[in-house]
Amino acid sequence: MTLFRTLRRWQLLLLLASLGVPIVLMLWKPYVLIEGLQRGGLYAVIALPMALILGVVGIINLAHGEFMMLGAYFAYWMGVYAGLDPLVAMIPAVVAFALLGAITYVLTIRRALKAPELNQLLLTFGMAMVGTEFANLMWTSQPLKPHLSYVYSSVALGKLRFGTYAFIYTAAAIVLLVLLQLFLRKTRLGRAALAVGQNPRGARLVGIDVNRTYLLIFSVSIALVGALGAMFLTRHSVFPSAGSPFTMKSFCLIAMAGIGNLPGVVWGGFGLGIAEALVSSFRGYGGWADVVFFAVLVAVIMGKSYRRQTA
Amino acid sequence: MSLKGKAMGLRVWALAILVVVGAGFLVAAEEGPIKLGAVLPLADITGAQGSKAMQLAVDEINAAGGVLGRQLELIIVDDESKAEKGAAAIDKLATVDNVDVFIGGMSSGVHLGELPALKKYERVTVWIGAASSLVEQAVVGLDWYFHIHPWDYLQGASYVEGWAALQAEYPLIKIHKAFWAYEEGAFGTSSYQGSLVAFSNWENVGESFKSALLGGGDYRAVLRHAQEFDPDLFIWVGYAADALPIMEQAAEIGFTPPLFVGSPPGWPADFGTSPLADGVIAYGMWAPSIKDVSPVSQHFWDAYIAKYNEQPATYFAPLGYTNIYVVAEAIARAGTLDKEALITALEATNYASPLGETLTFTPSNLIQHQGFRNQKILQWQNGAQQVLWPFEYATALPAYPFTGP
Amino acid sequence: MRMTRYLPYVLGAALAALFPLFSGAYLEQVAVGMLIYLTLALSWDMLLRSGQLGFGTAGFFGLGSYAAILLFLNVGVHPFVSIAFGGVVAGVVALLVGLAVLRLRGMYFAITTLALAGIFAVVLRNFPGLTGGSEGRMLPNCIYAGNTTKIYWLVLALAVFTIVISEVFERTRIRLALTSIRNDERVAKSSGVNVFKYLVFVFAVTSAIQGLAGGTYAHVFGFVSPEGSFSANFLLLPLAMALLGGVHSTWGPVVGGLVLGALSEYLKLQIPYGHLLVYGAIIVVVTLFLPQGLMGTVRAWWRRSHVTRGAQ
Repeated sequence: MTLFRTLRRWQLLLLLASLGVPIVLMLWKPYVLIEGLQRGGLYAVIALPMALILGVVGIINLAHGEFMMLGAYFAYWMGVYAGLDPLVAMIPAVVAFALLGAITYVLTIRRALKAPELNQLLLTFGMAMVGTEFANLMWTSQPLKPHLSYVYSSVALGKLRFGTYAFIYTAAAIVLLVLLQLFLRKTRLGRAALAVGQNPRGARLVGIDVNRTYLLIFSVSIALVGALGAMFLTRHSVFPSAGSPFTMKSFCLIAMAGIGNLPGVVWGGFGLGIAEALVSSFRGYGGWADVVFFAVLVAVIMGKSYRRQTA
Repeated sequence: MSLKGKAMGLRVWALAILVVVGAGFLVAAEEGPIKLGAVLPLADITGAQGSKAMQLAVDEINAAGGVLGRQLELIIVDDESKAEKGAAAIDKLATVDNVDVFIGGMSSGVHLGELPALKKYERVTVWIGAASSLVEQAVVGLDWYFHIHPWDYLQGASYVEGWAALQAEYPLIKIHKAFWAYEEGAFGTSSYQGSLVAFSNWENVGESFKSALLGGGDYRAVLRHAQEFDPDLFIWVGYAADALPIMEQAAEIGFTPPLFVGSPPGWPADFGTSPLADGVIAYGMWAPSIKDVSPVSQHFWDAYIAKYNEQPATYFAPLGYTNIYVVAEAIARAGTLDKEALITALEATNYASPLGETLTFTPSNLIQHQGFRNQKILQWQNGAQQVLWPFEYATALPAYPFTGP
Repeated sequence: MRMTRYLPYVLGAALAALFPLFSGAYLEQVAVGMLIYLTLALSWDMLLRSGQLGFGTAGFFGLGSYAAILLFLNVGVHPFVSIAFGGVVAGVVALLVGLAVLRLRGMYFAITTLALAGIFAVVLRNFPGLTGGSEGRMLPNCIYAGNTTKIYWLVLALAVFTIVISEVFERTRIRLALTSIRNDERVAKSSGVNVFKYLVFVFAVTSAIQGLAGGTYAHVFGFVSPEGSFSANFLLLPLAMALLGGVHSTWGPVVGGLVLGALSEYLKLQIPYGHLLVYGAIIVVVTLFLPQGLMGTVRAWWRRSHVTRGAQ
């Protein structure tokens, strides 16, 4: 009974905090809220495909950011040779990277699934290295970025002037989350994928083609992250090592949310984005933003484990 | 008789040929190529293009007959931007290849790790990288060490001089307050701190940001603080990956300081194509437009493109080219590879470089052999970098103030 | 009987110690780099034998580097003392941190240790008065004045020390405890293994080794900086070495470290532009075709050939 009550109090506090902090921020430093949501949206949307692979296929894809980087290069060269805007280039990117994902899965990941678990870490580490160095040999380490005038569109509300375009990342995170949730809960394929993720042996027993599910989920995830690379390019430069920090950020978000918790990834991304923006908003304290990122991460993970143990 | 005589003649001829060929071999064994050992980060565009430019210079010199009648041989080892790999590269060049001179260099962090190895061999070293004054402290008193790149504080002092000259020449330009946004790593921090001492007559405020190169890329908090400060001059010290995103985010919040300055080690390839680039001031040692005022630069530019079918995109390309010529000319002047003679000859360097300036070695704060000390103030105008200062290399008049898109 | 059993090890150690006799400064310097990474790979694997995937290698390495250099510069002790201090600091911090984070398992433990490494670097960078900030600190004189042979022996001693510790772990009841924790923690607990105590102990010891490696590295190359000392290379390369050599043993990480270290140097000289691409591709191919790692494959082959010979 008391346990029940403490849990409720916990949740109430959390709810109050998650509503209260934005309201306070809105009145005090509105741009922190705006820019935090934009930045957090970017973290979240890039983490979602990785969370999908980890949740269903069960591997930590250390080459995740490299696929995003290659997607950004793909969009860049589509712009140069075919005149496509990066946002339009997302469509061919989905096709190309679904193919790339399928080939990668068949040639490498599938063979490593039977091997000891940690081999997948080494395999994807090697793949990340190949991806980075391939880009380096092809296009050098000099950053590339197309000029796009819409990415710095902004609105002014009184004294506050802020960018509107970057909300595309916030929107993309929410849309992708909703689509993935619908897919996983409402479609036959998605439900099969969920079952495989929870218990591959059991799924096989009830007649689900586990291998095909893995292939599908891996290809879809790589297709998504490739297309997101194009979206990334609109506001960021691309260079061979552009992706690797996002592998780590994504992994952090997923660990914070817990495996299989896609909404947690998105809320966590928003939360961390706002926390970073808040720290950076104090002049001279921007250097501590990383500590805040990690501190929130560790606190959430420790808090969850503590609650699990007391419960 | 005549037959015997013929045989005799043949024998003499054979002997003569043997002696000549043998002597030739002996001479060749003694007079092999002069070996220059370069250490550069080959996966980075600075090292990649720097090494290519070095090879270009070596090929040019060899085609013109080499130095002291010997050919130059360039041996390049990748430092992989890692200190321990850089140190191993020095040991390889010293003991396996037995090079005569060490050249090259880029990052200060890698160079600090290479210095113990360099100090062990004490061979003549002519370095084009490593701007950190920490490195300068580590090479105090080394008579064989020549440093071509300006130290961080020299760069700061040079810009002080440049802005003073520009303000005197163009009374419209007035600077009292400056805001410094610097990348939080060693590069940005040392540049900022090196400059702070120099710009003591301005009101300076500095704040660090995380470069996109290291996973950052959101500059809006810093830009907002700069906007509140309302500086006459805003300068960011970061990497090429930050260049266009900073301009976009400044445009997004409507930040248009009268002077918008960027100080990355290199600019992205397509920066000039953006309308946001127009009027942006660039700090640097070199820009392609210097070829319009310097015949050496023009020659370097044409030769590099002819050989590699790509444009030099970083100042490490002309620096690498300079590195070879400085060493080759000093060896020619010394007439020998003897260390003392070579050091004396290097001290007498007077090389009109493709960076514009003529290179000489003079003392800096702590060391005897400092090469370049001046930077240039450039401006992006109509898609290209033009030189504003020093006036002797100026290719355009300043566009002032910066207005934004 | 006992003597002959240890003979190969003694021979191997003697051979390693005499390596400078038939190598030059270059190969010694390459070996120094390899042995540092090998030490990290082995220490990472020692923790992995308990089933805990640690990502804090670079963090404790950097912490040890800083502790050693700062003590050396500010107090002026003997370099060995400062290196030992680096190990102690890393070990003590790991002990304290371990008390909290070793309740976590799997990727949660991994990511928390990774986050700690990030926190160390940022904190050190933001106290420039002591640590030199972003630029770090430099030693006026390096250990042994850069004499590669002596440095080689120093680093070899570190590697041999780590190998001995690892073998102690392998040959005492620690092995049994760690293996049982890895296989099934609940079974381990019910058979009387104090899981938490063992994990904290192993985490502290392996982190201390990483701290020693960091202190040594900093003394050999003469500087510390947040970017250099906490570089992800000190996590990813050892991890690749251990996995490629074969995990859960002493000799897997050792062989992996030697093979990958030599390979990277060889490839670099053969293919100046693009050697890392080949290096990465080799890692991918080896993972796919030798899933047990190099040592695991050798061991399986050995067993198979012995079995067939026994059958004959």
